[in-house]
Amino acid sequence: MYYVAKVNADMCAEYKCNTCTLYCPEANTLMFDKVGNTSWVDEDRCKGCALCVYVCTDMLSRNCITMEMVHGKE
Amino acid sequence: MSLKYVTPVAMFKKYLPKDYVELVDFGPFGKTQDEAGPGNMGQFKELMEEHPMCSGCWMAYYIRLIFASLPCPEETVTLGTAGCGRLAISQAAVPFIYGNYGDQNAMASGLSRAFRLRFPDKQKDVITIAGDGGTMDIGFSMTMHSWIRGERFTTIMLDNEVYGNTGGQESGMSPKGAVLKMAPGGKQFNKMPATDLAKAAGCVYIVRMSPTNIKKAAKIIRRAIFVAREVGPTFIHAYTSCNIEYSIPTEEVFADAKLREKDRFQFEEYMTDAAKEVIDRIEAEEKAAHRAKKGIVEEEVN
Repeated sequence: MYYVAKVNADMCAEYKCNTCTLYCPEANTLMFDKVGNTSWVDEDRCKGCALCVYVCTDMLSRNCITMEMVHGKE
Repeated sequence: MSLKYVTPVAMFKKYLPKDYVELVDFGPFGKTQDEAGPGNMGQFKELMEEHPMCSGCWMAYYIRLIFASLPCPEETVTLGTAGCGRLAISQAAVPFIYGNYGDQNAMASGLSRAFRLRFPDKQKDVITIAGDGGTMDIGFSMTMHSWIRGERFTTIMLDNEVYGNTGGQESGMSPKGAVLKMAPGGKQFNKMPATDLAKAAGCVYIVRMSPTNIKKAAKIIRRAIFVAREVGPTFIHAYTSCNIEYSIPTEEVFADAKLREKDRFQFEEYMTDAAKEVIDRIEAEEKAAHRAKKGIVEEEVN
């Protein structure tokens, strides 16, 4: 049970922006889907630092990423 | 390594680990910076993955950036030493040599000389990536001597201003007055002037920076590597905060890096005339290649 980043795909797709993927300290975790024009998170790898939330909310004022609780898979 | 060794034989491909095959197919091996570089991180398979660094580690971010901006990852060897950085550097799909307590620059001297003898027709890049302790405290003599001898390789110092891996002792690079877990009285000496020392020792390209602007940071890493190929030793002094020892909330790590850019890590770039010549030549070539490629795409569209 821990927090991971979650991208609101519909909101994210409105902007042509992959800024958050450039500032994630984890490689291959916050990825950008060129077809859907949206970022997405590999939940198994996200360490929950919320740096992407800072980039999306404080820097760009787009509020597309939130931290949400996930539970371990059985 | 070279591209030939990285690429698997087609008939054995199905028996190889999935991660490896993905790395060859969608990774940066043999590709240009436009296809797989820092500008489109998150759209290709990166060299480094699943490292054990702390959540929100700015050092991990900078290491990710280093590996994304390598001009030729299949011909690169990285060296490191004890410290946080090696945990991530050794996880990347680039050959890594682990130095024994600060001797990474001494080893890199021999390695870069050996590469020039063994592969006179190839350009092999040797990069040492170590923390402030490995470069400026424990490995200080070996770092300085490699610069004084004019060894042609790149030294990158990941300066987190503390011994983060061992619980927060003060290092030579900690600022004066820093109160740390294992230095509760506050540091009583000044921060070492790393870039001035490098200048005095004969580095031909020196940069001090806080990696907040991704394009600028990548450009500097590439410049340092290109200059080291031809002219002499190059040095990058980068701020990579330790959010654990300096108690920075993880979501504010980026804001802290921006703040440091305004005081201790103001951008400073020094290059000799010979280094400038190499940089101008290579960047003009890159620009011409980029323009030519763009022209071809436009022709196809028309």
